Amino acid sequence: MTLTIALAGNPNCGKTTLFNALTGARHHVGNWPGVTVERRSGTFEHGGATMEVVDLPGTYSLSARSDDERVASQFLASPEVDLVLNVLDASNLERNLYLSTQLLELGKPVAFVLNMVDDAENRGVRIDVPALELLLGGPVIPTVGNRELGITELKVLLASMARGESNRCRRVTVDYGHDIEGELAKLQAEICRDELLEAAMPPRWLALQLLENNAEAKRVVAESHASEAIRHQLSKSFAFLEPHLGADGATLVAERRYGFAHGLVKEVATAADEKTTPTARLDAVLTHRLLGVPIFIGVLALMYSLSFVLGKIPQDWIADGFKALSDFAGARLPAGELTSLLVDGVIPGVSAVIVFVPVIMILMGCIAFLEDTGYMARAAFIMDRLMHVMGLHGKSFIPLIMGSGCNVPAIQAARTIESPQDRLITMLVTPLVSCSARLQVYIVIAGTFFTPFKAALAIIAMHFLGLGLAVLMGRLLRSALFSGPSSPFVMELPPYRLPTLKATLIHMWEKGSIFLTRAGTTIFAGATLVWFLSRYPGIANRQWTLEYQQQRQVVTTLNLPVAQAEERLKQLQLAHESRIVNTSLAARLGQKVEPILRPILDPDHKRAEAWKDVIALTAGFVAKEIVVSTMAVIHQASEEPKEGERLSPLQVALRDGSGLTPLTALAFMVFTLIYTPCLGTIAMIRREAGSWGWAAFTVSYGLVLGWGLAWVTVAVGRAMGFA
Amino acid sequence: MVKVQAQGQVRQRLLEMGFIRGARLRVEKLAPLGDPMELVIKGYHLSLRREESSCILVRLVTG
Repeated sequence: MTLTIALAGNPNCGKTTLFNALTGARHHVGNWPGVTVERRSGTFEHGGATMEVVDLPGTYSLSARSDDERVASQFLASPEVDLVLNVLDASNLERNLYLSTQLLELGKPVAFVLNMVDDAENRGVRIDVPALELLLGGPVIPTVGNRELGITELKVLLASMARGESNRCRRVTVDYGHDIEGELAKLQAEICRDELLEAAMPPRWLALQLLENNAEAKRVVAESHASEAIRHQLSKSFAFLEPHLGADGATLVAERRYGFAHGLVKEVATAADEKTTPTARLDAVLTHRLLGVPIFIGVLALMYSLSFVLGKIPQDWIADGFKALSDFAGARLPAGELTSLLVDGVIPGVSAVIVFVPVIMILMGCIAFLEDTGYMARAAFIMDRLMHVMGLHGKSFIPLIMGSGCNVPAIQAARTIESPQDRLITMLVTPLVSCSARLQVYIVIAGTFFTPFKAALAIIAMHFLGLGLAVLMGRLLRSALFSGPSSPFVMELPPYRLPTLKATLIHMWEKGSIFLTRAGTTIFAGATLVWFLSRYPGIANRQWTLEYQQQRQVVTTLNLPVAQAEERLKQLQLAHESRIVNTSLAARLGQKVEPILRPILDPDHKRAEAWKDVIALTAGFVAKEIVVSTMAVIHQASEEPKEGERLSPLQVALRDGSGLTPLTALAFMVFTLIYTPCLGTIAMIRREAGSWGWAAFTVSYGLVLGWGLAWVTVAVGRAMGFA
Repeated sequence: MVKVQAQGQVRQRLLEMGFIRGARLRVEKLAPLGDPMELVIKGYHLSLRREESSCILVRLVTG
């Protein structure tokens, strides 16, 4: 028989480190049903018993207001849980015991882990473990999670409890004092009139939550046939307690719980030294009035360069490797549908997924490191004022800035934001931040139509436009979607700690594999769809394929010098691909859609080939990097500049043949910035927001906003006399 | 620390975090941009925005 153990505790109490130490690599990360709260579960064996450990989200209480707390309290109350393992931070015992008082009220056996005893001892806090066991009514194991001390003892205890050998759990409850206990008894009596309600959760626990004015408890009661009587008794209790004890129910209950915790700590622990802690000394610098911001910017710059400069190296290897593979396959296999599927569909599709992995792993490693050290909370502390003005949370700053490297890991980085509202808004506006892939499009377009100086200005303007829009949309979405007040900013600034390398590596691995399995399939499917749209029906045209092969043969029989022959073959290939793409479904779609885009890309109706832009933009849906290479195919011109020339053949073709003017080129850039996030970003939003709905919303608001702003660009530009 | 005057969510959250009658708190510092502020209560550090901290009634205790 497996024993199911729920791991409960405050945030920052070292719960996840302990979970990793207990289960090792044998664990699974998923989501709790219906919410985007991570669910970690794993198993371990000891002394012949198998135990399943479920790591609950870190919470300060079980009052079921946030998703985290709701998930935790529902799971703890479910019959699935055999044993609750409450992790306590020994250096911050009093506040940690607040949650314990609630866990004890749930009526399940509770065992305790006194974690980070080394930290506590460094602060001069010594804890009398046998006394603590006596007062809490359950076994207490002291541990140091990050050094794996006490883990064996913990496993021995859990195994003996699984075998039913150890029954050291005694019922201990907080005494709320004569007056409150009297009212609790009356409420319990009313609750017990409904057997269903009585069975669902301990009546005393429900009665306490009602006294605390808990909305979730009221909702549970409202469904009962005894709800009338319970409500009546509750208002009588309030009417008695408030004038009598001078505070409302919530305050009274919290005071008594803290009273219990305070008394207990006084009994079992020595007081902390008054000497300055290392954390205080670090904070004197890191959150210093003048130094705090520059240091934060430095940390940000370091994280950015690690992820996007260092991360670009393996990214380039991967991209080059897949490019070489695709070239190799293209050269060896006979031209045709299957080859194209492999060379233009499958290989680039897989490549589009895998190139993200190094960046995701490095950035997530950095973020996990910052979180585990405790600096992330300080970063939010420093930036909160600025972000609050924008309707966001201090922790939204990092995802927004990282978005300028790549939106995909930036959206994953929004995980650090606790409030679901702030997290969602951050995820929805991050795609507006211009990423490095879009930069490639700007460089080609701006380089073609503007002087180098004006091109640089235009590119910088795009980045500021993106950030500005993110801020504006953040405010707009906040007021449109969540009319209520923003969630309270009550954030603990935990003591600084050095995380273990193992913890950071596990985190990196998890994020990378989640991306591959969850987002990877979506990206791959989308890439294949776009391949299909941009290759059919031309790719299936035998006649064209035959002509292409004959032309190639003619070139090879000419006996030209190698370089010249290669050049000719390349041109032939480009011409063949161009023929296919320009007659493809995407091209037909482009011709259909073109009238909609005419006001922004072709305001004078002079361009015969505006529909070609649509093909490039459709391809950009997969990844913005592809926009340029698709343009090269459409316009039959190479994107690589010849030696000694400033403009590449593609840029010359765009300048002379596309009919774009500097003004419509600028509109094209604005539209490229906003119109839709790439597939990777969409897949990540779907995964992180937990629904296709939000992903679809991001795409549609992007299209509308992108069109609108590109139109404004054209209208304002023309009014100012530009063409 | 005398009383939490906030309502609803904020109130419950503050109570759970230890803002109860008679608790001692110390304002450690303000963030570089002036908001939020860092408090020490029950031996741990906490960051609060002005918005929320303005709901907390305190009495000055020296020492």
